[in-house]
Amino acid sequence: MSKEQILIRLEELTKEFNGTVAVQDLSLEIREREFLCFLGPSGCGKTTTLRMIAGLERPTRGEIYLRDQRITDWPPQRRNIGFMFQNYALFHHMSVYDNLAFGLRVRGISRMEIERRVRSIAQALELESVLHLRASRLDLSTMQRVALARILVIEPQVLLLDEPLNNFRPGLRELMRAELKRWQYQFGRTMIYVTHDQEEAMTLGDRIVVMNAGRVEQVGTPDEVYWHPATLFVASFIGRPPMNLIPVEYRISEGRAFVRSPDFEIKVDQRRSIIEQSQALPHLILGIRPEQLRIWDPQGSFPTSWTRLPVQIDLVRPLGRKLILDVKTPSGLMLQMIVPSTRHFAPGERVEVAFDPEQIFLFDPQTGRGLY
Amino acid sequence: MHKRTWVSGLIRWGIVLAISVLTLTPVVWVLSLSFKPPQEWLAYPPTLIPRQPTLENYLVLFWPGNPVGVVSEMVRTAEPVTRAFINSLIIVPISTALSIIIGFLAAYGISRFRAGGNFLPFSVLTTRMFPPIAFAVPLLVYYRSLGLIDTHLGLILMYTTFTLAFSLWMIKGFIDSVPRHIEEAAILDGASRWRVMFTITLPLIRGGLAAAALFVFIMNWTEFLFALIFTSRFAVTLPVQVSRYAGAVGRYYGPQAALGIVASIPVLVAGYMIQRYLVRAFTFGLVK
Repeated sequence: MSKEQILIRLEELTKEFNGTVAVQDLSLEIREREFLCFLGPSGCGKTTTLRMIAGLERPTRGEIYLRDQRITDWPPQRRNIGFMFQNYALFHHMSVYDNLAFGLRVRGISRMEIERRVRSIAQALELESVLHLRASRLDLSTMQRVALARILVIEPQVLLLDEPLNNFRPGLRELMRAELKRWQYQFGRTMIYVTHDQEEAMTLGDRIVVMNAGRVEQVGTPDEVYWHPATLFVASFIGRPPMNLIPVEYRISEGRAFVRSPDFEIKVDQRRSIIEQSQALPHLILGIRPEQLRIWDPQGSFPTSWTRLPVQIDLVRPLGRKLILDVKTPSGLMLQMIVPSTRHFAPGERVEVAFDPEQIFLFDPQTGRGLY
Repeated sequence: MHKRTWVSGLIRWGIVLAISVLTLTPVVWVLSLSFKPPQEWLAYPPTLIPRQPTLENYLVLFWPGNPVGVVSEMVRTAEPVTRAFINSLIIVPISTALSIIIGFLAAYGISRFRAGGNFLPFSVLTTRMFPPIAFAVPLLVYYRSLGLIDTHLGLILMYTTFTLAFSLWMIKGFIDSVPRHIEEAAILDGASRWRVMFTITLPLIRGGLAAAALFVFIMNWTEFLFALIFTSRFAVTLPVQVSRYAGAVGRYYGPQAALGIVASIPVLVAGYMIQRYLVRAFTFGLVK
């Protein structure tokens, strides 16, 4: 990637609050015009990272670069960064017009120019009819548009959004999510978006930064984090229902490599060299996505290489066109699978499950690293 | 169910009524007293409506020497209240304004930057922990050497200092209730800290400021002890003037009551003017 496409560069960014580490050694390059999502459970340091980029928190260590200029010590006023807070932080005592004009007035822009820019952004976000209203009298989705307009009107280098959809009820949430995506195309700005909602991150993000306990677990496209989870945490955090994780043992017999659980045995000759770098051998964790497990049926065209496993259905959860089945293996292990709801399943029913042994994930239980 | 709400309504109204009677009785009594001639001041049984109502008590406040009747004879040597009134109208608003301004700036620093450390807000309260009279003697020594006795400036400084603890704590509560994010949004918009303070925070808590200001104003307006000790002739305030209506044979209750009524008018006016802020302050700020 060429140098000028990088908008923001974080170098070993660390933030400690009274001795507790909120963010640790975070290094990241954020590209021009991309939609980057920070995803992680609450308290993982994603909001703190955002606030450091904005200049609202000073990093304990590390550097922040904006277009190759070191801005680590710049006050937030100088950075020209738009920040959308979870509760929008509108100026409730002012009209919508004054809210939008605030940043421009601070910059000493002429009255006519302010009027022109406020009108034009209000038109783009359909706010013309509420310009005269007090900000405290708006409904949530209008507040969101005002908050966005307020940060767009100062023409920021980058927009930071801190869980802006948290206050919406589920149906409206999807709608506003689509709106956000549309706005990003429309205004063509770099957006950094913080959320704990994986669906939001998957649908919005060009790339996702998965964080946990102050550290970056993985940076990648939605497909990458889903199909190539770098760590056990990413594998278990992303996907609903979550990936099935099964403790297995690594064995070599007659010169061939296997992973073995009480219920099945899989040949892993091709991955042998990677597996043997693992710290915790012979123990490994095997992962299978719920949709990778299929109901075996004799007429079906399943390759003979697939592993088969007799199970008993424990719970059936219909989801419309799909079903979530909780099944129990002979050794008592519970697995979750997603199947099309083309036939009926009943709890207690015995079926056979099949999966492609080539597609399984393996993790080092000690370091949590994915073994690819 | 219906009966219960009826009973609880009755109890509630009963409590409101009892509190109203308790607080209003002295006011009504003073009002009635201010229109009574001397023989009715301590009459037994007391009268609520004066039998021979008179305006003399009010007239002698401003024209003490004018021979109108018995009361003017009693207070012939008193000074007209005009001076005390003007003094109060100079000292109290200025010291209230100073107290609120300094209180706001200090509260902002404490609330947003923990200025002065964790102990500062508490230590400010120590000025109110001692009985005020404990400060009187040392202050008297200071004031004498500084030439501040019986001056407006002397009382202004004193009132500002002693009410600062209240303004600081009240205003700090209101500032704490303003979400930090709103200020941060303004900062990210490019505004300086001062600009944020005066164009964002201040307007958002103006109801609270009004409430604090009224509270401090009333405290200063009714302050008696320091005014009595630190003034003699020139800078006498209204509460001291009230105490002046006394003679060898006892207190002149009529003029005292009349002055009490006159003196409460500015407070009533001030309270009425900021009433719409008060309701908001007491519902938004204090009761969170």
